Amino acid sequence: MPRRSSSLKGLSRRVFVHRLAFMGGGVILLGSACTDEKKPSSKAPEPAKPGSQGAPPTTSHLTFTNEEFAVLSAAVDRILPRDEDPGALDANVHGYIDAALQAQQLRKMKEDFTGGLHALDRRCGRMHKVGFAQATPEQQDDVLKVAFKEAPESSGEYKWYDLLVTLTMEGFLGDPSYGGNKNKAGWKLMGFDLVGKEAGEVSPDYDGKQHLDHLRCGSGKGC
Amino acid sequence: MALDPVDVVIIGSGAGGGPMAFELSKAGFKVVLLEKGPHYQQQEFVHDEILNSRRNFFMPLPWDEPHLFRPGGKSKSGDEHPFKHTNDGWTANCVGGGTVHMSGYFYRLKPIDFRLRTELGAVKGANVADWPITYEDLEPFYEKAEFELGVSGNAVPHPMREPRKKNYPLPPLREHPMAQEVEKACKSLGWHAIPTARGILSQEHQGRAPCTYCTLCGSYGCEHGAKASTGAALIPRALKTGNLDLRPRCMAKEVTVDEKGRAKSVIYFDPDGKEQEQAAKYIVVSCTAIESARLLLMSKSNRFPNGLGNDSGQLGKNLLFSSFGESRAHFKVSKQKERWPWLETSREPFINRSCQDFYWMPDDKFGFRKGGTLGFMWTHPNPIFAGAGLAKRGKEGVFGKALKERMREYRDSRIMQFEIYGEFLPTDGTYVMLSDKAPTKEGKVVTDKYGLPVAAVTVTRHPTDLKMSKFLVERGEEVLANLQPDKVERIGESGETTILQGGTCRMGKDPATSFLDADCKSHVVKNLYVVDGSFMPSIGGIPVTLTIAANSFRVASRMVERLKKEGK
Ligand SMILES: Cc1cc2nc3c(=O)[nH]c(=O)nc-3n(C[C@H](O)[C@H](O)[C@H](O)COP(=O)(O)OP(=O)(O)OC[C@H]3O[C@@H](n4cnc5c(N)ncnc54)[C@H](O)[C@@H]3O)c2cc1C
Repeated sequence: MPRRSSSLKGLSRRVFVHRLAFMGGGVILLGSACTDEKKPSSKAPEPAKPGSQGAPPTTSHLTFTNEEFAVLSAAVDRILPRDEDPGALDANVHGYIDAALQAQQLRKMKEDFTGGLHALDRRCGRMHKVGFAQATPEQQDDVLKVAFKEAPESSGEYKWYDLLVTLTMEGFLGDPSYGGNKNKAGWKLMGFDLVGKEAGEVSPDYDGKQHLDHLRCGSGKGC
Repeated sequence: MALDPVDVVIIGSGAGGGPMAFELSKAGFKVVLLEKGPHYQQQEFVHDEILNSRRNFFMPLPWDEPHLFRPGGKSKSGDEHPFKHTNDGWTANCVGGGTVHMSGYFYRLKPIDFRLRTELGAVKGANVADWPITYEDLEPFYEKAEFELGVSGNAVPHPMREPRKKNYPLPPLREHPMAQEVEKACKSLGWHAIPTARGILSQEHQGRAPCTYCTLCGSYGCEHGAKASTGAALIPRALKTGNLDLRPRCMAKEVTVDEKGRAKSVIYFDPDGKEQEQAAKYIVVSCTAIESARLLLMSKSNRFPNGLGNDSGQLGKNLLFSSFGESRAHFKVSKQKERWPWLETSREPFINRSCQDFYWMPDDKFGFRKGGTLGFMWTHPNPIFAGAGLAKRGKEGVFGKALKERMREYRDSRIMQFEIYGEFLPTDGTYVMLSDKAPTKEGKVVTDKYGLPVAAVTVTRHPTDLKMSKFLVERGEEVLANLQPDKVERIGESGETTILQGGTCRMGKDPATSFLDADCKSHVVKNLYVVDGSFMPSIGGIPVTLTIAANSFRVASRMVERLKKEGK
C-alpha cells in the first residue's frame, strides 16, 4: 500500500477557501467540509511511488517525502514563476508549506494536500508519460490548468488547486517569520512594503509560528 | 455539584454580553461571564495576517466547530438542498467577541425601522413585524453606548438623519482626500455623502489611547485599544469593580430549569474540558443570533422539550442577516496621479463616507421600499487576501506569468469599494435548527469538537431583497463611475453578510409570535434574557453592532431596577 491513498478520494474533508470579506474585513479562511460530497479523481491504477512500498520513505523535510517535496516545488514554481521579479521558489514558498502543514490545527488539511500532490503526479503520468517534477513547464501548466484549475467546482481536483493557490499565497505574502516571503519578495511585488511601513511593522524578533503553536480553542479539547 | 449561585451568569462577552457585564457589575451585582474563546491581551494583537486572519485566532475552524448552511426550497431533482459545512455565521471566538476584530462602522437605526410592519403593510411571504419599542426608547442608550464604547463621527444634516440629542462624543477621524471626491460625486448625482461614524477613538478617551492610523483595522485586534471592542472599552472596567468573574475558554452547553420552569444554572465545559455547573438567579444569553438559538434549542427538559422557553415554537425562526452587495473602483496610480497626486502620496486608511438616500423609498416604483446604506472604503490591504483574489478560480483563474502581471498591476492601483447593508426581510424559510434534526444521508449527526450538535441554518431570500440590493449596487456604481476610475468591478449584487445577524429570539408583545418581551426577557422563563442581535424583529439597513450594544445597555438598566427590587 502506498503511504497514503493518493487518489483525491482522499479529500474526504473537502477543502475550500472561504472568503470573509464583508465589512471592510480581509479574511479568507482556510476551510474544509467534513462530510460533503467528494469526487474520486479516477479509477486509474495507482503507480507505485518510489519509497512508498516496503522501506519507509526517506525525507529531509518536515511534512513531505523527498518525492512529494519535488512535486510541490515544481507546482508552486508554476503558480508564481520567477520572471523579472522573484518567484515562489525565491521566496521559499515550498519550505513554508512544508513547515505550515505541521501545525496541529491543519492536520486534516495536511492529509488532503499531500493526497493532491500524488494525484497531480499521477495525472501528469497519464497525460504526458512523465512525473510532474520531471515534466517540462508546458506539460506542467497543461496538467495544472486542464485537470485541476478548470475541473468542475465540486471536484476534489478543483478544491485542491484552490488550496495550492491559497497556500502559495500564504508562503509568498505572509509574515516572513513563517519561513516564506523571503526578503519580503512577495510584499515588494504587491506593494505591501509601503502599506506595511505605515501599519507599524512587526518587531524583528517576532515569530508567528510560536503564537500559532499556542493557539488552543477553548475547553482543553484541542483544536 | 453546582458552583455557588451568583446573581447573574452572562454567556458570551461580545457586543451584547459586554455592556451587560459592565452595567451589572458596576451596579454591585455578582456576575459570572462565560466566554468560549480565550482572553487575548492587547499586546497579542500583531499585524500578522496568517495568525489573525487565516487561522483560528478569531474564528473557529470548520472541522472543529462547523455550521451547516443550505438554501431553502427544493433542488431540481425535487429534494431539499443538502447542508454544507462552513465557517459562515461565526463572528468570533474570544473575549470581546466580534467587536475585537470588527471594522467599527457604527450607525444608528432610523425611527422607521421600529415600525416597519406599519410602514410597509403586509408583505406577502415575509414576517415583517413592528418592534415593541420605539426609536425614542432606544435613543438614550445609543447615546450611552456611543460614549462608553467611544465613537468618533460628525452627525451632519441629511434627509435620512435619525433624531439625536448630541453629536458623537469624539470628533471624526482623519480622512483620505478621496472622501471629498466621494462627497462631490454624490452631490453631483443629487445625493448625500455623510461621514461614517466609527467605533475607533480619534482622541484619548477614558484612559484609552487614540487610533494611530495603521492600515490594518478590520479583521485585526487593535494593539492600542483604540477600537470600540467590549474587550477594550468595557470588560477591563467591569473587572475593576471586583464583581465580575470572567471565565474565558468556557463553553456553555445547556441552561437548566428548576421544577417551577425558571432558569436555574448553566452547564459548561471549563478550560480543561471538565463539565461544570454554575447556578444563578438570572441568566443572560448573548452568543450571537445563531449560537444563542443553538444553545437554547440544546437546553431541553421535561418542561421544555423543544428548547428552553420555546412554547411558541418561535425559537430559531426569522433569522436575519444583512443584504449584501459590493463593487470596486480601480485607480491606476501611474495614470491618475497627475489629476490626483494624493493617490500616490496618501496612505490615510479612512474614507468614511456613506450614502443613505435609498434607505427608504417614497413608493415601490423600483420594486421595494425598504433599502439600506452604501458605505465607501478602501479595499482591505491584507496581501494574502488580495493575492488569492487576483488568482481567481476556474476559467477566470490565472497562474504563472499572468498572475504576476496582475500582482504588479495591483501594486500600481488604489482600489475603493462600497458595500451595501440592506434590509433582509424575515421569511419562514430562514431559520436555525439543530444538526440532530438534519442528519446526513448516512444518518450521521454532525457534531462539534465538544460532541454537541451544531447549528444548521436554512436561508430563503425574499425576492424583494434581491431587487433592492441590485438597485443599491447600481446606484453605488454610479457614484464610482462619477469618479472616473480605470475600471469598475462588480463583486456581488445579492447574497447576505452572515456576520451581521438577528432575529432568532424575536421580541414582541404577543407570546404566540415572539420569543422575548420588550425587555428582552423570555415570555415564559421569567429570569432568562437574550441580548445579542437575536431580539431584533428586523435588521434595518445598517450594520447592527452599535444597536446590539445600545439595546444591551437598555436591557441592563431594566434588569438593574428589577434586581434591586427583587434583591431587597
Ligand atoms: C471582520 C468583521 C468585521 C465586522 N465589522 C463590523 C462593523 O464595521 N460594524 C458593525 O456594526 N459590525 C461589524 N461586525 C459584526 C460584529 O462583530 C457583530 O455584529 C457583533 O459582534 C455581534 O454581537 P454579538 O454580541 O451578537 O456577538 P459577538 O460579539 O460575536 O459575541 C458573542 C460571543 O459569544 C461567545 N459564545 C458563543 N457561544 C458560546 C457558548 N456556547 N458559550 C460561551 N461563549 C459563547 C463567542 O465566542 C463570542 O465571543 C464585524 C464582524 C467581523 C467578523
